[in-house]
Amino acid sequence: MRELCEEAVSAALAAGASYADARVVLRRAQTVATRNGRVDRLDDIESEGVGVRALVDGAWGFACDRRLSTEGAQAAAAKACAFAKAAPGGHKRALATVDPAQGEYRTPVERDPFEIPLADKVAHCLRAEEGMAYDDVKVTSAFVRAQREKRVFVSSEGAVTDQELVECGGGIDAMASRDGITQIRSHPSAHGGSSSQAGWEYVESLAFEREAPRVGEQAAALLRAEPCPSMVTTIVVDAEQMELQTHESVGHPTELDRVYGTEAAYAGTSFLKPGDLGSLRYGSEHMNVTADPTTPGGLGTFAFDDEGVPAQRVPIVAEGVLQGFLASRETAARIGSGSGGSMRADGWSRMPLVRMTNLHLEPGEGSLEELIAGVDEGLFLQTNKSWSIDDKRLNFQFGTQVAWEIEDGELGRMLRDATYTGQTPVFWGSLDAVAGRDEWRLHGLTNCGKGQPGQHAHVSHGTSPARFRNVQVGFKS
Amino acid sequence: MSQALDLAERALRAAEGDEALALANRERSGLARFAGSEVHQPTLIENDVVELQIVRDGRVGVAVANRTDDEGLRALAARAAEAADSAPVDPDFPGLAPQAEPPGVEGYDEETAALSPEDQARLAAAAIDASSLDLYGFFTSGFTELAIASTTGLAASQAMTDSCIFALAANERESGHAEQTSWRVSEVDPAEAARAAVAKAERTRGAIELEPGSYRAVLEPYAFAELLLYFAYDAFGALGLLEERSYAAGRIGEQVFDERFSLADDGLDPRGLPKAFDFEGSPKTRVELVENGVLRDVVWDRATAKRAGEDRETTGHAPPSSLRRWGPLPFNISVAGGEAGSTEELAELVGDGIYVSRLHYLSIVNPRDGVITGMTRDGTFRIRGGRIADPLVNLRFTVSMPELLAELPGLTREIVLVNEASYYDERYPNGVLAPAAATARFDVTGTGSTPGI
Repeated sequence: MRELCEEAVSAALAAGASYADARVVLRRAQTVATRNGRVDRLDDIESEGVGVRALVDGAWGFACDRRLSTEGAQAAAAKACAFAKAAPGGHKRALATVDPAQGEYRTPVERDPFEIPLADKVAHCLRAEEGMAYDDVKVTSAFVRAQREKRVFVSSEGAVTDQELVECGGGIDAMASRDGITQIRSHPSAHGGSSSQAGWEYVESLAFEREAPRVGEQAAALLRAEPCPSMVTTIVVDAEQMELQTHESVGHPTELDRVYGTEAAYAGTSFLKPGDLGSLRYGSEHMNVTADPTTPGGLGTFAFDDEGVPAQRVPIVAEGVLQGFLASRETAARIGSGSGGSMRADGWSRMPLVRMTNLHLEPGEGSLEELIAGVDEGLFLQTNKSWSIDDKRLNFQFGTQVAWEIEDGELGRMLRDATYTGQTPVFWGSLDAVAGRDEWRLHGLTNCGKGQPGQHAHVSHGTSPARFRNVQVGFKS
Repeated sequence: MSQALDLAERALRAAEGDEALALANRERSGLARFAGSEVHQPTLIENDVVELQIVRDGRVGVAVANRTDDEGLRALAARAAEAADSAPVDPDFPGLAPQAEPPGVEGYDEETAALSPEDQARLAAAAIDASSLDLYGFFTSGFTELAIASTTGLAASQAMTDSCIFALAANERESGHAEQTSWRVSEVDPAEAARAAVAKAERTRGAIELEPGSYRAVLEPYAFAELLLYFAYDAFGALGLLEERSYAAGRIGEQVFDERFSLADDGLDPRGLPKAFDFEGSPKTRVELVENGVLRDVVWDRATAKRAGEDRETTGHAPPSSLRRWGPLPFNISVAGGEAGSTEELAELVGDGIYVSRLHYLSIVNPRDGVITGMTRDGTFRIRGGRIADPLVNLRFTVSMPELLAELPGLTREIVLVNEASYYDERYPNGVLAPAAATARFDVTGTGSTPGI
């Protein structure tokens, strides 16, 4: 694989590239999903190929080929260079200087998820489904997934890295319907469960069987719950919803390619400007956010990114002030700070983009109970149900699967169909407490979309429950 | 024989001794992505993917690979067989689709298939050169060939092409968008799209706020198509109906929308991005989803048809295996046009309201009630006195689609093919045929950023 990358890089240099890199990626992904007691999906997917990126006269070209052969590597290199030479625009691109990386990395696993028999995975899902059976629950579903990805990277500057990343995860859902109302509960997260760079031990830690009865019962109970009324109030947001809140309103706006407008047509831009670094008040003093691709178990964990830049922990927001961006070598050079380290590509057939790695809301102090105890009147919101945010990452609206009334510091009745909305810096400015390390959880999501052609990134967020004051719940009357 | 069909049949032979179905997808595509009037992320893809479904005694397993030599296909068959052996017997498995002759469809164009990377760069340049503002977006074209072969006698393939120019003209205070999509590149004019995006952008300077509330509105085809697609994926698939969780549950046969509104799913329509068969190998058919406001049907695949019983048959809407959890999906929805000659005429019908060009980041808030939230962007305007007037900031909306569709004062005669492919995973061109529409109810629930980047 290394030799193939070297051949591709040599071919690109011979075709006129001033810089080139090549990645060979071999991916195997396995999914077992059950639905209402039967297997809904049982598949095993392999994909392999080489992607070549070339810089010719300041213009990028990227081409890929599934053939892991000299012919495939050279064809991809030639096409990448041919496109770069034809690319319109006046190009001037510089890359931040980094020492050429050399090294290897393997995800530490206790139990290789591909060694677990598929039949055991099916049984694992079916047992969880049984636990969710409850009156009015019309659909139960469970899934587990595993992925192994071998990545070899070579650059014309002399970087050579070899990494093997192993992921697994899963989730369960119960959907209840009656009298024209449909409600859902999920564990450990909605929209695809949660995953980790780890072995099968991670799936076991998710405790599907233990949580299934609660999930089924709450889905059914939501059918009888009152709709959440609109109001301005205090909300306590659970760790799982804080994952998405952090992802959408901190992670994406701090991607430096968005700040510079290169995602404008699709994912959007950012309300942040390069000059905001070090001065913009993003939120209250309780807000501390860190990007850390060295976090054990994170889906964004690696030793080197897809430009060969070593993993580095970077403060993004410290005590409410913007302190860092997620960057590539190119955007780092443009802003004149750092060396990048957040470039990631979805497999072999996509060009690396600035992506989140592991982005954490650092823990504060105290327990979830203490956060709730500090609320005279408000809501405790759990588990994402819907999400939307504008193209500059300012106006957001999130819905949660369940809301609980808080009265005099104690949880009360269950409510359904809760949403909350806000403007990013105003909302984070209303943060008045983050629960402590004991409440901090690492969530891994596999559906972060960006780029054209589209790319899915796998990223993790460590979050604790958090409390926000004066938040618009539902709609302004 | 097509290369994709040859690959599918080779995979089928590797599954010797089993009931099996093989799908092969060949892709040769290029996407010249630009920002600030420079191409910055070009992606040229060559890939062949084969999916093998093996059935053993009612147990079903699937494996996928892009290594297509004999050794690779043998390994593929072994993994699919292992998956099948690991599955319990599925009493609901409908069996593999029987041999069927797919309908003849258009959707392949030699000129589009032959575009080189240099051509794709040139067409991106044509858009960039025509724009007086910085341009963001892409030109893409692709050739894809989908083939299916099975032990039940299926042996079909379809060559498809698609091309799209997407143009966002913008500076810090203005932004406007236009796009054109066709399976014939000769019908896509990058320069014209760029000029339309600039013209729209120039009208967005000085955007003002708007109080949240319920407004009458004109929705351009891009906005109307995206709302309908989100609604249709959830409301017009058979799985949601059978599981009693979708809007259609309990409403088939009812007059639920304005009688001006008729919606079909029609993969055979040459104005769209035609498809001959679905991912089970069943021929595509046109399905009338809504006729004159009456909810008529949803789309079906073999699995949901078997569950429904009562002589129900597939309509040819099985999705790729990666999307099977959603059940059959309407990939080719098409809205009947109306009488209005232009969006300006629709604005006259609205009188006082808002004009929406394009949407951003939609999310389904409540599937049973068809409630969707999202933002407007790149051209939102006030309509006063029947004319398109002041530019507005981007608006958050939270709409009930049944309420939005309950009163449609008008629809344009002109139908636009709106690209809905985001090019994740393997390329599968799809889009919506939609007119512009006027609605009596569009609920604005907040305000966001100003136009511009």
